[in-house]
Formats: sequence, structure tokens, C-alpha cells
Amino acid sequence: MSAPIKRISLDTWAVVLSLALAALVRLGLIKTVSW
Amino acid sequence: MTTSTSHTVPELHPDTHRGLAHYAALLPGIALLFAVGYAGKFIEQSIARYGKAHHLTLPNIEYVLWAILIGILIENTIGLPKIFQHGISTYEFWLKAGIILLGSRFILGDIAKLGGISLVLVVIELAGAFTFMTWLGTRFKLGPKLISLLAVGSSVCGVSAIIATQGAIDADEEDAATAIAAILALGAVSLFVFPLVGHTLHMSDHAYGLWTGLAVDNTAEATAAGALYSDAAGKFAVLAKTCRNAMIGFVVLGYAIYWANKGQAAAVTNKAAFLWKKFPKFVLGFLFISLLATLGSSANPSIAALGFNKPQLLALANLSRWAFLLTFAGVGLRTNLRDLLFKQGARPFIVGAVGEVVIAVLTLGMILGVNHYYHL
Repeated sequence: MSAPIKRISLDTWAVVLSLALAALVRLGLIKTVSW
Repeated sequence: MTTSTSHTVPELHPDTHRGLAHYAALLPGIALLFAVGYAGKFIEQSIARYGKAHHLTLPNIEYVLWAILIGILIENTIGLPKIFQHGISTYEFWLKAGIILLGSRFILGDIAKLGGISLVLVVIELAGAFTFMTWLGTRFKLGPKLISLLAVGSSVCGVSAIIATQGAIDADEEDAATAIAAILALGAVSLFVFPLVGHTLHMSDHAYGLWTGLAVDNTAEATAAGALYSDAAGKFAVLAKTCRNAMIGFVVLGYAIYWANKGQAAAVTNKAAFLWKKFPKFVLGFLFISLLATLGSSANPSIAALGFNKPQLLALANLSRWAFLLTFAGVGLRTNLRDLLFKQGARPFIVGAVGEVVIAVLTLGMILGVNHYYHL
């Protein structure tokens, strides 16, 4: 039997997305974001 | 959940919908969130442009209100086809991403100072809210677990806290749905009442933001009620609300132990693991981003090089605004007035409403008192 897939919480997904965006900004791959 | 499918906490990786198809199913709803939020922004900008072109002084109504109103209008007139509902429920995900990215607008010194004041107020608010809600619920002869859920929802952080507590104390789904409906109904009212009170009392952005963060229960509504007042007030509301959210683990643990001792819930074997599981991880993300913002503001160039520079901070702040835009659209789109008004018992709603008013007045008194000494 395969082990059950561990759910990734909403919180963790939000942290992953935000840190990924922050990394892209820090690396200069996202230079400006207009509002 | 009895109120509406859109009130459930979204799971981005449920066992039943694995793979790309699950993520693709989110897209229509997310596109609708964007369309509604952007329509709100467009209306705000159009009114400002019209006023400028015709030399008129028109009231500046933030896009937040337009987005919420458009969302409420859609949900309560034509209704939301099922294809959108899954994606709409991601509004809480965008809220958390927005809060984490908002960390770029705080340096750690500010968080320590403002967060310190907020934490003291949060502890007083928690104690007052728990005591009052428990007393009131008992007077209205509500079930003891429903009282626990209402007390947690109104003192800590709304829907997330109720769901976390429901699991920990083995409460009925029905009780949780009732408590959630009461909290959401009152949150919807607060969106319109809080800014009115703030303007009437000429509150500063800081004082108003702190009040909103302390008194409005659900994080999305607290953020929206703050942003409806001003951008700066929204920032302070998020900080105060984040302090409240950080307490969730301790409060749920307390209730879990209480009900386990009564033999009506499973015992908590590992308290540290329990606390970690319930702790909102986005708070850590928020602190990490503000740490990098703090490093970037250092006078020492080698330390500053580790953090974000000014253009990067602006980019992150704007990303946070876009995430909040989706959130505010979601607040409107999941507000079903019929459900909120009629699909819950009168007594839980009265307890929730009276409790909310008392907590709002109590926290307003605290804020005005602190403002007197610290000039917020």
C-alpha cells in the first residue's frame, strides 16, 4: 500500500508562493509591479 | 457546513481532486476574483479621473468597497455558477499571501513596538471576549460547545479559529456552521459600520487600524474594513489582526484540554506539536519578509545588500495589493445575504451580535485610552 499523500495546508502554499515571488523580486527577475 | 459551499476553507490539494485538473478547476473562479477586483479599481480610478477633469471634489471611495459591493451584487442576484465556486474559495489563500508580502512595508522595530502594544491589547481583548461570550451564551442557554466556538470566533480570528477548534473539541458540524454564519454576518456589517464610526470620531489611521484588527473577527473582513478607511489603516489592521491570529494555537489548545478533561474530546498528547500544527504559518512568512526589509534599510552597505532595496520593496508592496484585490472581491462574492440572515438560529445570532457590539465598544475604549497616552 502506498503511503497517504500528506496535504499541504493553505498557509504553507501561501508562504511558498509569497517567498517565491519575493525571491524573483530579489533576484531582479521581477523589476517593477505597477498598481 | 450549512450556509454555503463558499464558506468552506479551501484545500489546494485535496485527496479527491489530484493533479492538474484540480488546479485547472480553480482558474474560472480566480479569473472572476480578478475581474471583480479590477472592476472595483477601475471604478475608483474613473471617478477620480472624472472629478479631476471636471474640477469636482468627489469623495474618494476606495476600490475595496466597489469590489465588495460588486461581489455581493453578483452573489445575491444572478448567483455564482458552480464552475466559479472552487476558485472563489481561494480568496483566503490570496489574503494570506497578501499579508506575507505586506511584511515588506514593516521593519522589525515597528513590528516590535506596534506589535507589543497590539499584543497587550489582544490579551485584554481575549480575556474580555471569552468571559463575556461564555456568560452571554450560558444566559441564552446555547450548547456548551457552540458557546466555545462562538467565544473562539469572536475573540481570536473568526472562521479559521472556529474550524481549528471544531476539530480539536469534537464539536458538531452544525454548531461550527452556526458559529461561522454568525461571525460572517457580523463581519459583513462591520465593513460598513466601522469606517463610519472611525470617521465620526476622527480617528487616526493608526488608532482606527488597531481597533479594526482587534474587533473585527474574520481576517479578510478586518483587512477590508481597515483598507476601506485608508491604505495606512489597512496596514495597521493587518498587524493587529496578525497578533490575534498568532494566539490561535494557545486558545485552541486551552479549549482542547478543557473538553478532553471533561471526557468529551480526544486528549492532547504532544502539546508542542499541537501548537505548531495550529500556529498560522503565514505569520512566520510575514516576519521573514519584514526581516529582509529591515536588513535592506540598514546604514551598513554589506548588511543592506542582504535585504530588499527600495524599488524591490515597492514591487513587493504592489504584489501584496494585487493579492488583497482578489481577497476583497472574494469577500463580496461569498457573502450570501439570504444565508447569513435566515439560515441560522436567532439565539446564536443574538449572542454573536451582542458579543460583537460589546467587544467593539470595549476595544474602542481601550484604543482611545491608549491613544490618550501614546498618541497613536
